[in-house]
Amino acid sequence: MTITPPGRAAVAATLLAAACVAWSATPLAGAGAAGGALLAAAIVCAAAATARLALGAAPRERAVFGNPVERAGHALADLARGLPWAEGMVIAVLVLEVLHPSRPWHTGLLGAALLAYLFAVHLAESRAGLAVLRPQAPLIAAGLGLLALAAGAASLPAATGSAADLMAVLAALAAVAVAGLALPGDPG
Amino acid sequence: MTAPRDQAGALARGARRVRLAWSLSPHAGRLITLALAGLVIAVITRRPEFAGVAAPAVLLLAAGRPGRRGAPGAPADVGVAARASAPSLVEGEEAGLDVTVTGHGDHSVGLSLHPRFAVVPGAGAASAAGEGSRLPLRVTRSGRRSLGTLEITLRDRWRLTEGHASVELPTVDCYPRPPAQQTRVVLSRLPSRLGEHPSRSPGEGLEFTGVREFVPGDRQRRINWPATTRRGRLQLNMFAAERTQNVVIIADASSDVGEPGCTPVDLALRGAAAAARAYLAVRDRVGLVVYQRGVRWLSPGLGTRHYFRIMDLMLAGPGPADPLRRAAGISRLPRAALPPGALILVFTPLLDRRLVETLRDLRERGFPVLIVDVLNTEPPGGTDSLSGLARRIWRMEQQAIRFSLRELGIPVVRWDGEQSLDEPLAPYTRRVMVSHR
Repeated sequence: MTITPPGRAAVAATLLAAACVAWSATPLAGAGAAGGALLAAAIVCAAAATARLALGAAPRERAVFGNPVERAGHALADLARGLPWAEGMVIAVLVLEVLHPSRPWHTGLLGAALLAYLFAVHLAESRAGLAVLRPQAPLIAAGLGLLALAAGAASLPAATGSAADLMAVLAALAAVAVAGLALPGDPG
Repeated sequence: MTAPRDQAGALARGARRVRLAWSLSPHAGRLITLALAGLVIAVITRRPEFAGVAAPAVLLLAAGRPGRRGAPGAPADVGVAARASAPSLVEGEEAGLDVTVTGHGDHSVGLSLHPRFAVVPGAGAASAAGEGSRLPLRVTRSGRRSLGTLEITLRDRWRLTEGHASVELPTVDCYPRPPAQQTRVVLSRLPSRLGEHPSRSPGEGLEFTGVREFVPGDRQRRINWPATTRRGRLQLNMFAAERTQNVVIIADASSDVGEPGCTPVDLALRGAAAAARAYLAVRDRVGLVVYQRGVRWLSPGLGTRHYFRIMDLMLAGPGPADPLRRAAGISRLPRAALPPGALILVFTPLLDRRLVETLRDLRERGFPVLIVDVLNTEPPGGTDSLSGLARRIWRMEQQAIRFSLRELGIPVVRWDGEQSLDEPLAPYTRRVMVSHR
């Protein structure tokens, strides 16, 4: 039995999702009371995101007079396709990680795994090969370098005073810039 | 090596422009989520490692600068040419959809096929990449079928914006797949046309029928010398004349019930196609009458071109709805369409009473009629006793119809669509079918 490249990407996305959830939840006792709920939410989102990859695009034509079980199945499939499960899993996993005491290298590895998960999801749903990511490879490497720098900086004794304020301002400016990219542009 | 290029070039010359709708890709949306979540958490909790988590996504988004009009240099429209690899197909035959996309610049092209009813994409046809692709597909049911729609997706090199366009695909003619038929029903009385069936009258054929005494004017090469030696007088070999026959096939396409793909209509059209092919192969003259909402007919003719005329008639849409007069239409067909003495082969589920009456009428007018029963389904119903009773009554009615036809001298054979047509027709193909009024 051969697995097609999109199939391999889907399997990789599933494994990475499971790894991210497990990595961010470990140890579960350290996440506090909300940890259990967030873990459940992350698992549901990861499972639904995997189901979405397995289902593929919605068919254009369906039987008009399907039986109730068939229609319920279609409704569930539409739900799996319609909601942004992967995004939900990313948020749940990051919040779950925040609930733990600071552990920079652990968080850094989680960030790298989340990025790999997002790329695997994209390759699976666009049915593209790994080669399409070649133009982005330098930027991804630079981003991972920044991630390592940030984790290393966080491992140092806590910055106080103006240095910490400056870092917070820079992070806020970056967040504003990213939000600006997400806003719709000129429709003309 | 140049032929495929020429073909792609010809295809591209027939391209039409399709406007693209650009938007952020789902991948960009997920990267934005990761970046925003990481940065917001970093600001709130003052933990720089979360800003690091956001860093790769921020870098990619900044480099790609996604927008609603796509990346810089994104085309507003593309040229798309799509056509089936063959203008006509046979049910279940593997075919391809050749697609050429031009004017996409340095964007990657993704193709996704959304097939219509009875069109099944082949392996890898649901999605393909590249500006020139062949998407494998097959059509599972005969008819004039629309292939569906083709969705074209352009992606920039950062995979952050997507341009979408949808193209309506052309229709293809899908002919019914004829089952195997090697044998043929041959009538005892054949018209005086040169053909391939040995007839009862003596003639210039190949089949030996007997010996008679030589009379002046006979051809000397036909003298049977052993018989001449025995009898002491010149004896001559006799041969059967070879004649053609007229065959009119009636395909009943009025009762489309049951599973799509194996309904009585599908079976009737497949059987009619097989019969037409088998009789045309021995140079018989074959005509077709399609009984649907109206009556469509084709006069008997010869040859391969006539076979495709028959196929085209099967695919043509139903005529104007006139249920009261459609059965009478067969009786009123002109002499050219229903030649006297023609063998009438009927593929029908015998569900239409008017057609049954018409067949009785044809038999009473002296036409040799042979019915191939293609009914392979029963009315749906529950499991309660009333439904069971109704179904038994329906079965008895069907048996009564077949019995009354047999009593009139119309053979009724059953064909399930799976086996070859030779098996049900075997009792009538082993010897000539006696046609009498």
